[in-house]
Amino acid sequence: MDFDFTDEQYALRDAARDFFAGECPPSRVRARWDGDDHDEQLWRSMAETGFIGLTVPTEHGGLGLGDVDLTLLLHEAGRAVVPAPLLETTAIAAPLLVEAGTDQQRQAWLPRITAGEAVVTVQLDGAPFVVDADVAQLLLLERDGQLHAVPRELFQATRQPSLDGARRVFTVEAETGDDTRMAGGPQAAAKAFDRGAAGTAAILNGLSERLLEMTVAYVLQREQFGRPVGSFQAVKHKLAETMLLTEPSKAATWYAAYAIACDLDDRSEAASVAKSFATQAAAKASAEALQCHGGIGFTWEHDLHLWLKRGKALESSYGTAAAHRARLAEVVFAS
Amino acid sequence: MRIICPIKRVPDTAADKKIDATDNTVDRDGSEPVLNANDEWSIEEAMRIKERDGAEVIVLCMGPEAAQTTIRKALSYGLDGAIHVNDEGVAGSDAVGTARVLAAALADEEFDLIIMGNQSSDARTMLVPAMLAEFLDLPALTYAKKLDVADGTATVQREMPSGHQVVEAPLPAVVSVVEAINEPRYPSFKGIMAAKSKPVATPDLAALGVDAGEVGLGGAWTQVDEITPKPPKEAGEKVSDDGSGNLGAQAVAEFLTKQKLL
Repeated sequence: MDFDFTDEQYALRDAARDFFAGECPPSRVRARWDGDDHDEQLWRSMAETGFIGLTVPTEHGGLGLGDVDLTLLLHEAGRAVVPAPLLETTAIAAPLLVEAGTDQQRQAWLPRITAGEAVVTVQLDGAPFVVDADVAQLLLLERDGQLHAVPRELFQATRQPSLDGARRVFTVEAETGDDTRMAGGPQAAAKAFDRGAAGTAAILNGLSERLLEMTVAYVLQREQFGRPVGSFQAVKHKLAETMLLTEPSKAATWYAAYAIACDLDDRSEAASVAKSFATQAAAKASAEALQCHGGIGFTWEHDLHLWLKRGKALESSYGTAAAHRARLAEVVFAS
Repeated sequence: MRIICPIKRVPDTAADKKIDATDNTVDRDGSEPVLNANDEWSIEEAMRIKERDGAEVIVLCMGPEAAQTTIRKALSYGLDGAIHVNDEGVAGSDAVGTARVLAAALADEEFDLIIMGNQSSDARTMLVPAMLAEFLDLPALTYAKKLDVADGTATVQREMPSGHQVVEAPLPAVVSVVEAINEPRYPSFKGIMAAKSKPVATPDLAALGVDAGEVGLGGAWTQVDEITPKPPKEAGEKVSDDGSGNLGAQAVAEFLTKQKLL
């Protein structure tokens, strides 16, 4: 059995990398840090390229692709610390609308997602904050085991302090009722949570990979005692150890995407393995990147912190590593 | 309207080019091959005509089987099909040989325009567009930084060192474009997914009636005898100014004058 991605999936990944390299440089991430609003232009061009509607079925104008196709693209979004709710809208909300929305909700929202006209964000039970709720036209909300699709006029968003200035979080107060009720229930919500965990893992993997690349480039350039600092064992071993975590984390995440796409029995376990592993790898990559960059890595002017803060913010998003290990333990020890 | 976009598979523009020491040709396995950057401008220009006036846009490429990936990349921009002269015998062709093969591939094709990059990033001869026009006995509008097509006529602004010329020709014509002509788009995901189902014709040299002895390294009119790496950058000239006069500014001005930059 060939578990590798297809040529087409790699071509999509390469296109995503080129796109983000050109359209989402660190300056664009910084602009969001500096107070710029939701980057409407970036969102629209991502929609034109096909990102946003990637998981939307073709009958609603999307590309009709799935979790496995998306995982490589989320990885690229992580590499570029994209300041936009791609995870919420494309990875979680669109499939949730497809699987658990009413016909009316699907018809109303899926074409708008594809066109880049609607940002859709998500709050599942237990999550304290909602990403980019201020610019979302729709909130998919799990409350007391019931899913609701809450349009803009029925929820209030209050901004909360966040570590990552390019990923804004909010608390929301929503009015839910029969009108907002979705067709699906707890099972759909559980799958959405797994998508959130595996998707966050993919983003973290991209972020770790980029941190490692930036750090390797830096230690090859920075000299001390007449030679690049990367030639010292104390430095190169740190980075080799980091790679020993980041590489298997990718494999775990790809399997989770596959398990979700195929609705395998071990879907939730796979998502937990991916998220706990990716979180640990990203923490290691972040710590070593900062250490190896030395003083410059602490400065505001250096771009490193854009990645570090995103990594830290995503550590607890869709479950901490500890929570996922606990969930895994429950399954493993019960059987 | 039918438009042909000749493209070239070149070594990664950003990578150091390696030379095959046995025959002084570019080592094409030495780095990741990519679509020649200048061809992205010609594809973009063809796509704009397609979107504005409606056109069928066909990629033309010569090269080994592996060139398929580059052709698919070009098709992912939304082009309609491709002709791939798939023959190992074209390896090592010079500008004349390349133009000869491209012309042969188009001998039985109907088209209104050929739009191509003005040069490839590996060889940089800038000769192929004009030679292709000559082989096909068509007008050549080269170095276009603006292209208008209307009423059976192509009009271009031809980039010059000191401005531009306006040149026009009746269709069919060959147009080569420069960077200033447009900003190429990113291929859409839909385009990437559609690329694999676009038709690609794959004639070899024999099918085109090209004498294999006239092309490839053996048939080349030009030959690379020797290659010398460019010398390392020399240390610059330092100008110091103690602030007491305009000595620094004067020295900089003299330096620039000497370099014919002032």
